[in-house]
Amino acid sequence: MSSETDREEMDMLAAEYALRLLEGEDLARANALMNSDQDFVRAVEGWTMRLTSLAEDLAPVDPAPSVKRALMRRMFPAMQPTKSFWDRVGPWLGVATAASVALAAALAWQVFSVSVRSPGPLYTAEIASDTNDFRVVAVVDKTANEVFLTRTAGAAPEGRILQVWAHGEGAPAQSVGLWPEGASVRLVLPPEIAAVEGTLTLGVSEEPPGGSPTDAPTGRVFGTADIPNVSVN
Amino acid sequence: MLFNHEERRIILENNEIETLIGRLALGDTAAFGRLYDLTSGKLFAVCLRVLGQRASAEDAMQDSFVKIWKNADRYRVNGYSPMSWLITIARNTAIDRLRATRPETDLGRYVEFLPAAGLNPEQSAVAASEAARLADCFAELEEDSRAAITGAYLQGDSYKDLSARFGVPLNTMRTWLRRGLMSLRECMSR
Repeated sequence: MSSETDREEMDMLAAEYALRLLEGEDLARANALMNSDQDFVRAVEGWTMRLTSLAEDLAPVDPAPSVKRALMRRMFPAMQPTKSFWDRVGPWLGVATAASVALAAALAWQVFSVSVRSPGPLYTAEIASDTNDFRVVAVVDKTANEVFLTRTAGAAPEGRILQVWAHGEGAPAQSVGLWPEGASVRLVLPPEIAAVEGTLTLGVSEEPPGGSPTDAPTGRVFGTADIPNVSVN
Repeated sequence: MLFNHEERRIILENNEIETLIGRLALGDTAAFGRLYDLTSGKLFAVCLRVLGQRASAEDAMQDSFVKIWKNADRYRVNGYSPMSWLITIARNTAIDRLRATRPETDLGRYVEFLPAAGLNPEQSAVAASEAARLADCFAELEEDSRAAITGAYLQGDSYKDLSARFGVPLNTMRTWLRRGLMSLRECMSR
């Protein structure tokens, strides 16, 4: 694909794909290119961005207020009973190796044994990406209000670091701290996070060195884990 | 790079939307409510334009927000295109709904979310500045090309629909439309 005509043909196919005009063989060809050709992907992305301005000129139309209520109810059923810890952990226990279960137990024990002063609860959770290329075991120690995290699979891409985030139910997410290197990190929970009661959500993202330049993740969020029934020590 | 007032306003708004999408990926429901308030008017307008009926447009918009929530972790901050990402999801969701009502159409699988790590920030900046010129360039197009491209983008027409609407053979339709796209690209990169 080097001649001018081929490039031209490629770019037109990308535009047609972005417009969703293609059918049959042409669509199959474009779908295959989407999976194999980065130049084609970029061309589709470029056309998608250009064509969006056709929609940007549309005057906004407010949907009925009941639509937002219905959506929020559908997505975050307020009265939904909190899932139990084991329901939550179940899915990953099914695929996790015995070793990683043992690791979580060992980490919990380690954390537990160093914090001998009036021991508060310990909570463990695993943050795993959808594709399982990244996994972190987290132990929240309510005695010291610290979280201890260990990577069991994957790492930040070259030249990037990890950042840990947390929030309570319905509360804004905030940074817990940076994880620039190493297989484990111990971070002190910020006061707002230490005060969370009920479901505590932890997440890990990859960010530029120095952390996210904003107060939210800017890179890939590998995954999150909800720890239900957290109580303040 | 220097920005004029309008460009700065758009950049600030994009920054807020990008920040909210980043928070969505962490399961931040408050950020979801705010993102809905900021963008539902635009996304509803897109769905309404494609589907033409309030009820099904509302369903499509709801489905779009569910997808946005579930796929926020795929979005990569680049400073330029958060609205374009959201609008693309809404448009595709609405078109899927439209086409599902026509059993005879088989338009096959479509890669709904662009694979991550496509455009780098410079490429995004170029695409964004080209997009800013689209309206003027669009006005320069011949009437038929313009109607065909809008029909495809905002009404979800396929080549088959368009050739029926314009009463020309499918290949002729394709040649017309491609000619329009080429002049559009040529004009935007000027």
